[in-house]
This record gives sequence, C-alpha cells and structure tokens, in this order.
Amino acid sequence: MSASSLATVVIVPFFGALLWVTPAITRPTLQFGVRIPGDRAGAPVIRRERRAYYWRTAAIGVCFTITAVLVQGHASWWLGRIILVLELAADLGCYQIARKNIAAVKNAEDWFAGLRQMVATDTSWRTDPPHFPVCWLLPALTVIAVTVIVGAVRYPDLPARMVVGFGGSSAGHQAPKSVVSVFALAVGQLYVTALWTGLMLIVYRSRPDIESADAASSTRRYRMYLAAFTRAVLTLIALVNLTLLLAALRTWQVYRLTGIASGLPLLPFIAGLLIIAIVAVRTGQGGSRLSAGSSGHASNALPRIGPARLSRVSPGPARDARLSRVGVGGGPSGGSKRASRLPGESPGQSPEGGADRDDDRFWKAGLIYVNRDDPAIMVGNRFGVGWTFNFANRTAWLVLAGIVAAPAGLAAIMAAAGL
Amino acid sequence: MLLSIEPDGPVPIYQQIRDRIVEAIADGAQPAGSGLPSIRQLAVDLGVNFHTVNKSYDLLRQEGLLRISRKSGAVVQRDPGSGPPDPGWVRDWTGRARTLLAEAAAQGMSAQDIIHHSQAALADFSFPAGEGAA
Repeated sequence: MSASSLATVVIVPFFGALLWVTPAITRPTLQFGVRIPGDRAGAPVIRRERRAYYWRTAAIGVCFTITAVLVQGHASWWLGRIILVLELAADLGCYQIARKNIAAVKNAEDWFAGLRQMVATDTSWRTDPPHFPVCWLLPALTVIAVTVIVGAVRYPDLPARMVVGFGGSSAGHQAPKSVVSVFALAVGQLYVTALWTGLMLIVYRSRPDIESADAASSTRRYRMYLAAFTRAVLTLIALVNLTLLLAALRTWQVYRLTGIASGLPLLPFIAGLLIIAIVAVRTGQGGSRLSAGSSGHASNALPRIGPARLSRVSPGPARDARLSRVGVGGGPSGGSKRASRLPGESPGQSPEGGADRDDDRFWKAGLIYVNRDDPAIMVGNRFGVGWTFNFANRTAWLVLAGIVAAPAGLAAIMAAAGL
Repeated sequence: MLLSIEPDGPVPIYQQIRDRIVEAIADGAQPAGSGLPSIRQLAVDLGVNFHTVNKSYDLLRQEGLLRISRKSGAVVQRDPGSGPPDPGWVRDWTGRARTLLAEAAAQGMSAQDIIHHSQAALADFSFPAGEGAA
C-alpha cells in the first residue's frame, strides 16, 4: 500500500463519519441550513429528515469506504480523489434533500410568524477581545525551523539529481538539485502555516456567532469554542508541518521506507484531523454543545441591552454586577443575571417571543453566504463547524485570490526549477 | 454590554442602536469613560451597513453622550453621575416627554398607570446615591 492509497483509505471514511455526525454538531436553531425558531427543533419534519440523513450518509460512507479499500493498490492515484469527491457530492445531495424538505414545511407553516427576529452582539468582544494563542504557533514554527536546518545540513551531500515530491519513492519524479527542489516542502510548510494562521486571525476579528435570545451564555460558549478550535487548528498546522518534514527527510535520504510503512509520514496529519474532529464534536458549532457555566470569563457579568427584561435589580451603586435587558419597544423592564437558559426555554428563542433573525435568504443552497449589507468577511458555517466567507464582500474575494495565487505562484517557480 | 436589535422591525436600525446605547448609559452598563466598539466593528457584529452605525454614533455625539476621536475611539462622555444637563436640553426633553405622556393618555392609560410605568422604568436606571427613583 502506497502513501497515496493509505491516505485515501483513511480520508474517505473520515469525511464520511464527519458528514454523518454534522447535524448533531450544528446549532439546534439551524437544521440543515434552515434557520428555525428554538421551539421548532423537535418538529416532526426535522426528526424525520435527520433520521433519513443519518441512514443515507451512513450507507454512502460504508459503500465508498469499501470501494476505496477494494481499489487501493489496483488503480491510479487519482481514483482515490475521485472516490472522495463522489462521496462528498453524495453527502451534499443528502443535505440538500433534507434542507429542501424542512424549508418547505417551515415556509408553509410560517414558523417565524409573530416572532420578533433579533440580532445581538456583545460589545465586550471588541473592548475586551479574545487573545490569539500565539504560543500555540511555536510548535509549527519549530518544525519549519528544524526542516530548514536539516535541509541546509544535508544539502552538500545530496546527489545532483534527487527524487522530489511527497511520495519520495525511488520511482518518483526526479529533478536537479537546487535550493527550490530541496526546500520545496519547507515552502509548503510556510504556506500552510501562513494560510491557516491568517484565516484564524481574520476569524478573531470577525463577529462572534451569538444566539440573540441567549446572548450572554452563547457569547461565553463562543469564546470557549474559539479558544479550543484555534488551538486545535494550530496543532493541526504543527502536525501537517511534521508530515511534510518526514516527507522531506525521505527525499533527503535520511531514512527509507517501503510498502505500507511509506505511509507513516501521514500519521501526524491523520492525528491532526482526528484532533479537529474531536474538538468539533465536543464543542459543536459556535460552542453550541458546551456548558455555559464553566467559564470564568469577565463576560459572565455582562449587561444585556435587548428585548424586555426578565426581572428587577435595585437601582443604585451596585452597577458593577448589573445585568440588564432593555426592551426594544421600551417595555416594562428589569435586570437579569441570566447566565444560561431558563427552565422550559428553547435555545434560540427568548421567553418574550424573540428569535434569531431568519437569514435563509442570504445563504445560497444553504452553504454559500452572500449578503451585500453585511460588512463581515467571514461568518460561522451554516452546516458543521468552522467559518466561511461572505461572498458579497470584496475583501473576502481578495483573501480568496491570495489563497489561490500563492500556491499557483509557488507552482510556477517550481516548474521553472524543473520540479 | 449585550446589544440586540430587530433589523426587520418598524424602528430604523440606527435609531435602535442609538436607543440601546442610551439605555446602557442610563442603567450604568456604560459609565462615562467606558469605550464602545468602533463604527466598523459594531457594523460587522450586527451585520449592518457602516453608515447605519455611523448615523447612530453621530446622533449620540450631537447629544453630548459620546466622544469620538481617532486616538481613543468612541467613548461615553456623560452618564447619570455627570451632573445636571444643559437647561436648553431639559426644555427640549420636556417637550418630547410631554408628547410621550400625551400618547399614553390619548390611548386611554390612567394617570396612575402612567406613573407606575414611569417609575418601573426609572427603577432600572443608575442614579447617583440619594437620587434614586421615588
């Protein structure tokens, strides 16, 4: 089994399992990309579509995994990619079926009728922003430094023509020794590190994914989610760099592996994917699966300015611990120290009849966010965890162009160097 | 401060943002000297146009409640502890309050109910010690 075959056999069931579990890690108020009021999360159509999705995607995952195992070693490397793409397309089809059916019932029954549709923000997100965990970037940078140092040490002893590329097998593509050919994988490490660090920095400047009806606790959960997810991504970067280092060591003839052992450099990458998947399942999208009470962050004592207040606080000097909610319509008011949902209250719906804004119209096919009035570059994913671009934003297109242009430029340089 | 608006509601968004910030100042959530997000940041966080937030901040600046500078950003300038307002402003506010009370009376609310609701609202505000709502 080659490294490529091993990657296919691992990644096909990995993505199958990830897409299978995705409805469970998405917010209860977002069912298959359809925004719903919190009290509709248990609607018959949703239960039925979730059950159907689980069965369909499980069957698809099993079929494609069996196919990937059967064809490994008997077909070209590209067949593995085709199997993966077909699996993703089939799962996407299941998602679209569920989305269409739920949206049809939602629109027919007008689920948002009579509900105030709110958007909430936590100003402390800007006045007391979360800090990017820079120290978690050190392992990735250390691996790059080790790669460059080992490459520089090995450079004089390398033959005039050397096997290049990730595979590194003796039958692989050969190229003349040069700085570009020797350090190509180190450049790849730099690209991966810069790309994901840059994207996470944009995410830190983006808006938090807050449930308007439960803003205080969902803000806390989002902070915890962002911290955990960022650390997982930075760990993944370090492990991807380690995989590239192991591949580079092989091209520099530091060690030699054959057969299934040639796939060993992939193990760090696979471990990184597992870490991301575990964090995603534990936190849920935007921290929706986290408990809000476990954070000691200052935003525990956030005042809330929003729909009608829930209870009273006495006026006077105790302004430090005040948590107040002020009515949009200037209704009867009072303060509320509301750390988590009240008994009987659904997520995404406040007891005053408010709900998260129905923003389905901005999501094309339930996956692509296009909102000209929204200045955000990135927003939380509609299905699954993570973030996506606002495709109506020019800066988002510039970032995307940079993501595509950088590897294209590197590829051009490598082609010019005979790689 | 948690700030929520109703984007598709009958009240213009800039007015809602302005009102929420005034309420936050009144109830002590945003005391004088405390910072607010920049126009750009608040627009991103609420998913609304920059100009909408700019209009809200500009209103607050004209009312003397907000100070906006390049160096320190948007900072609350007045709060319930900042002393009595300008007499001209009180005259203007009295006129608006009268209209608001007239709306309640015209809709049939009793004087007792109007006073009760006014007191309930005042109870949430953060007056300096000894000046609490009666």
